[in-house]
Parts: sequence; C-alpha cells; structure tokens
Amino acid sequence: MEMLFILLFFVSLFYIAISGRLFTCLNLLILQGLLLFGVAIVELNEINMVNLLIVLLETLIFKAWFMPNYLKKVVNRNNIKRQVNPYISGFNSLLIVSLIIIGNLVFAYYIQNDFLKPAYIAAAFSGILTGLFLIISRKEILMHLVGYVVLENGIVLLSFSVGKEMPFAVNAGILLDILISVLVFGLFINKIGKMFEDMDITKLTSLSD
Amino acid sequence: MMIFALILLLSLIFPGIIARTKSITSGRKGPSVWQPVYDLIKLFKKDAVYSKTTSWIFAWAPVFYFSAVIMAALMLPFGNHCAIISFKGDFIFFIYLLGLGKFFMIVAALDTGSAFEGMGASREALYSMLVEPAFFILLASLAMLSGTTSFETFFYSLTFNSSLAIFIGVLATYLIFHIALLENSRMPYDDPKTHLELTMIHEVMVLDYCGFDLALIQWAGHLKFIIYSLLVSNLFIASSFPEWLQWLIFVLTTLLFAIAVGFVESFRARHKLRSNNKAIVILIPISILIFFGSMLIMNKLF
Repeated sequence: MEMLFILLFFVSLFYIAISGRLFTCLNLLILQGLLLFGVAIVELNEINMVNLLIVLLETLIFKAWFMPNYLKKVVNRNNIKRQVNPYISGFNSLLIVSLIIIGNLVFAYYIQNDFLKPAYIAAAFSGILTGLFLIISRKEILMHLVGYVVLENGIVLLSFSVGKEMPFAVNAGILLDILISVLVFGLFINKIGKMFEDMDITKLTSLSD
Repeated sequence: MMIFALILLLSLIFPGIIARTKSITSGRKGPSVWQPVYDLIKLFKKDAVYSKTTSWIFAWAPVFYFSAVIMAALMLPFGNHCAIISFKGDFIFFIYLLGLGKFFMIVAALDTGSAFEGMGASREALYSMLVEPAFFILLASLAMLSGTTSFETFFYSLTFNSSLAIFIGVLATYLIFHIALLENSRMPYDDPKTHLELTMIHEVMVLDYCGFDLALIQWAGHLKFIIYSLLVSNLFIASSFPEWLQWLIFVLTTLLFAIAVGFVESFRARHKLRSNNKAIVILIPISILIFFGSMLIMNKLF
C-alpha cells in the first residue's frame, strides 16, 4: 500500500511541475498532505499514541487542510494572478523533474541498507529537489511558497524513511517552520497586496524608495 | 480464430459507435452505427484512380499497410487463447509491424509529389517517433513482470492482487488509450474532421487515395483501434476467468473504448500543432512510472 502512496507522490511531483494554474498546485499540496497521512498510518502504527496523533494532526489537519486553504484565501483576497509564470517552461520542468526522480531512484538503489527504506529516500529527495527547483524556476512568490511546502513534504518523508526512530522534535520543528513561513508569507502578501497588484518577483528588481 | 473474427466484426462498428456518441453528446440524431460499414462497402465497389506522377509504391502501400495491421492483430493473444502467430520477442515484431505499415503510408505520401502530403508525412513520422519510447517502456515493463518476451504470457502476471498492480493497470490503460488516439489521428492530437490541409496530419497523407485503396486504409485504421482495445482488455482478463466472462470483458472494453473516444472528441479541443509534440512526450514519464511500479512489484528495485 505504501508503495502506491510513493508512486502517487511521484505523480503529484510530475503534475506540479507541469501545471499552469496556481489552484491546481494548491490542490496538489492537499493531495500530498493526504498521501503523507496515508504513509503515516501505514508506517507508524508502532509508536505511542500521542506521537501518532501529532503526526496525523500535522499531515491531515495542517498539510492537507489548513495550509492550502489558507493560501487559497490569500489568493482570493488579494486578487493574485492565477497563472503560474515560469522561467523554465512547463514541458522543460517536467523533463527536469523526471531526471530528478530517475536520478534519485538510482541513488536510493545504491545507498540501500537495512536501516533505511529506499523507496522513501527516493521520494524524499525527489520532493526536496523538486521543491528547490520550483523555487528557482517560478516567478510568483506564492509558487515559491508551494515549492517550499513540497520541500517540507520531502523532509517529512525522509523522517518516515527511518521509521520508528523518527524523533518527535524533528517533526515539531518542521511544523513550526511551515507555520512561521506561511504566516510570514501570508502577512507579507496581505500587506504587499495593497501596494502592488500581483506577486511577480521580477518586479522586485525595479523597487525604489 | 474466433477472436480474429470478433476483431474484424468489432472494427466495422467501432467508428460508428464513436460517431453515434459524438452525435448524442451534441444533441443530434446522427447516423446509424452501421454507416461506416456502408461507406466501406461503397468504397470497396469503386475503382482506384492513380496519378501519373506516382509509382508502384503508391498503388501497393495501402495493401502493405492493411496486411501489416492484420498481421499485428494475429499476434495478440486473448485470455487463455494463444495468439495465431507467437514466438519469443514477438512484441518487438508487433510494434515494428505497425511501424512498417506506417512507413509505407509515409513513403506513398511522398511518392505523390504533393507538398501537403509531404508535410503530413513528416508530422506523422515525428509523432510516431515521439510516442515509440512510451509504448516500448510499457511493453518492456510487462515483459519484466512476466519474465518472458512473448505476448503469450505477458498478461498472465499482471493479476490485480495488490494496490500497486491496480495503479499500474490504470496507468497502462490511460497510456494505451492515448497511444491509440495518437496512432489513429484522433482528437487531442489530430482532428479527423478538419477541412484545412495545413492543419491535417493523417488525413492529408491519404488525400490522393480513393475507392478500394481508401477503403483498405480506413479499415486498417479501425482495426488498429480494436488492437489497442484488445491490449487494454487483456490487462484486465485473468486466465482463471470463465470463457464467457473473457469474451464479455473484451466486448465491453471495446464498447467503452469507443464511447470514451467519442466523449474525448466531443469535449476536448485539439492541441495546437506547436504543442502537440510536447503533449506526446509527456506520455513518456507516465510509462516510466509504470516501469518503476513494475520494478517495485518485482522487488527488483529495493
């Protein structure tokens, strides 16, 4: 079952690379949150109840419900342009993400040992690299945030890959990290939305006092 | 042999079902399901007319094309029934048989000396070339799953006992559906109803054909659809199913396939020619996912 989730995670990475709509990307974040929830249920049934509850809360409530919907709200409130405006076209992004995923599968194949789950390693590093790639290849500040969240999803998968030994602190740290980033970006976008019409970062170069 | 007769029969009504679906979704009454059969009979009764600039290639190409497709149809197994022609590595032969037919159509289009037909031929060659890796990776995944290189045993190993196998089945169905649309020059890739030569792909290649030759080409196109729908239904037929259920699944899959094509044609615009090749290359990552999925099933990767 968990392999299906991993494959669907790869599908979501492919889709997020090629999608031209902001809301599709946000819906894919919901999908990724649900997939992480599924992986958490399958993988972590041995750890104690409190820890499990917090992981589920983080994946289902926070990643799959609160954050994408909050970002959608921000988009609606500020009349942000809903197309994704990439430096690298969707098609080339897809090729690059394919290369990232294939490279990581090969990488995971070579480093596999008894303590790690290689499929998770591959998915995790693909998520991290795809997130970074989204950040450098998209113009909207909101897509930078989407890339950041994809990166965080990859990190969560990485912590799942070590299974039971997953330290509670790492997860709490990730949660806090995202919370702060979403709030800061939300405030930032709300404030800046009053000044400028869209969130194209190329316009930041022409800022003056 | 029964399956071959059924393939021939279904290929006759397949385009009729597509046309009927399209007419119903657009609120028209539409022609009868048998209309393409009447058209084929009418065309078969007519003689062919050849231009003086063409050579023997032009006259023979439809025959090569049709016989290549028929031969490809003979190579597909169905449920427990083995294929009429079967040997090791026959799936590669199968793909290149379809390729051979297409090659002769392209050469014949160039043979006419028409600029339009040359343009259509080059597009057709490009798109076939772009879709080939996806089809090969798909069949190679099936070969890896079954551990053999013959169609005969390809489909036995894909039993839907795990969620991963279902996922692969769904992806493979999607992939074969799109390959079928592309190979038959259907809607998102090519518009069979267009009247402007500049935007045609397959239709412009056969502009100079008429009568008997045109009927062969059209029938071969319909047969190709059935070949792909037989591939899809083989994915879902387990050898343990009773005989009647296997036939039922094949017929139902074919009908659903035709209705799905009709729906796609009714509700989707065709791609711009410029973005067509990108849309085709996108099929390759899907086939790579199938490949890794089958590696995961086989425990080959991890």
